[in-house]
Amino acid sequence: MIPVKKLSFIAIMTSLCITTNYLLIGIPNIKVMDLFVFVSGYVMGSLSGALVGVLTWLVYGTINPYGFNLPTLVATCIGESFYGIFGGLSAKLSLKVIPEQAHIDSKSLFIGSLKLGILGFLITFMYDLFTNVVTAFVFEIPLFAWIILGVPFIITHVLSNFFFFFLVGGLLINTLKKISPLEVKNH
Amino acid sequence: MWFWVSLALLCGLIASGCISIYYYNESVKYQKLYNQAVKDLRHLKSHMLVNVLIDYGNGTQEWHNETRVPIGATLFDVTREIAKINYTKGQFGVFITAINGRGGKPGYYWLWYTWNSTSAEWEIGPVAADAFTLHHGDTVSWVYEKPSW
Repeated sequence: MIPVKKLSFIAIMTSLCITTNYLLIGIPNIKVMDLFVFVSGYVMGSLSGALVGVLTWLVYGTINPYGFNLPTLVATCIGESFYGIFGGLSAKLSLKVIPEQAHIDSKSLFIGSLKLGILGFLITFMYDLFTNVVTAFVFEIPLFAWIILGVPFIITHVLSNFFFFFLVGGLLINTLKKISPLEVKNH
Repeated sequence: MWFWVSLALLCGLIASGCISIYYYNESVKYQKLYNQAVKDLRHLKSHMLVNVLIDYGNGTQEWHNETRVPIGATLFDVTREIAKINYTKGQFGVFITAINGRGGKPGYYWLWYTWNSTSAEWEIGPVAADAFTLHHGDTVSWVYEKPSW
């Protein structure tokens, strides 16, 4: 049973993701949602992070001006949950993406942010590869040609996410850790 | 430490791989466009472009813009290229009796005009279609009509 506070956190993060997605709808493949999902997983655990990703896509993928396609929606839901799962794993494996409060200096902050940027880059690449493979199979498009055609979008997505994770990832994690979810984590 | 360095290198590898694929793809695309442009330019050395209008006299008009024909081609040659025609040969040259199956109506004839870009008017063809040599950029028309004369 998921505690009420955790559920509220999931709902708030999901609505934040949906709102920012619609705000950025005109800019293909540049979304801050991925960072929010990762941070949710980092702060509240893999399951919560994955849930934020899946719920966001269930709304955004269904009510979307670019159209609706069930297999693609399933793929994006699964792909988005990678961010939440890896966010949770990063916290669990103590990857030190956030410097300890006692040893905060500009160098450790930079290294921590860089680690977050690297994680953001790699998870995004996995997400893009996974969703492109599924889309190619669903629409019966030659896989290699489809991936080559999607390269500009992949570059945009991975680089934008690298910068989002690098620039605001640490700040967001620290902010969210200070509010209620930290208490929830102890439940 | 080495774990993160490896991940960073992996990111670099992915980024450079993606960028290489992208630019390779672009170079292939532009190479194709360049080759096509060269081919078109070579073709223009021996060919020219003309515009032909076929007016069936029933409201239907058919434009054949930028039709590529060999230099020195006559209106008759071009018409034969773009449409199925019936014709007879007389002492003044060929006389078109039907274009794409339209013709044979008593009192109606296929007449041809040339567009005068200076006066911005259609001018009736002065000779038979096989005696009129076209030039690059010419605009001509075939009109199925009942002459006023």
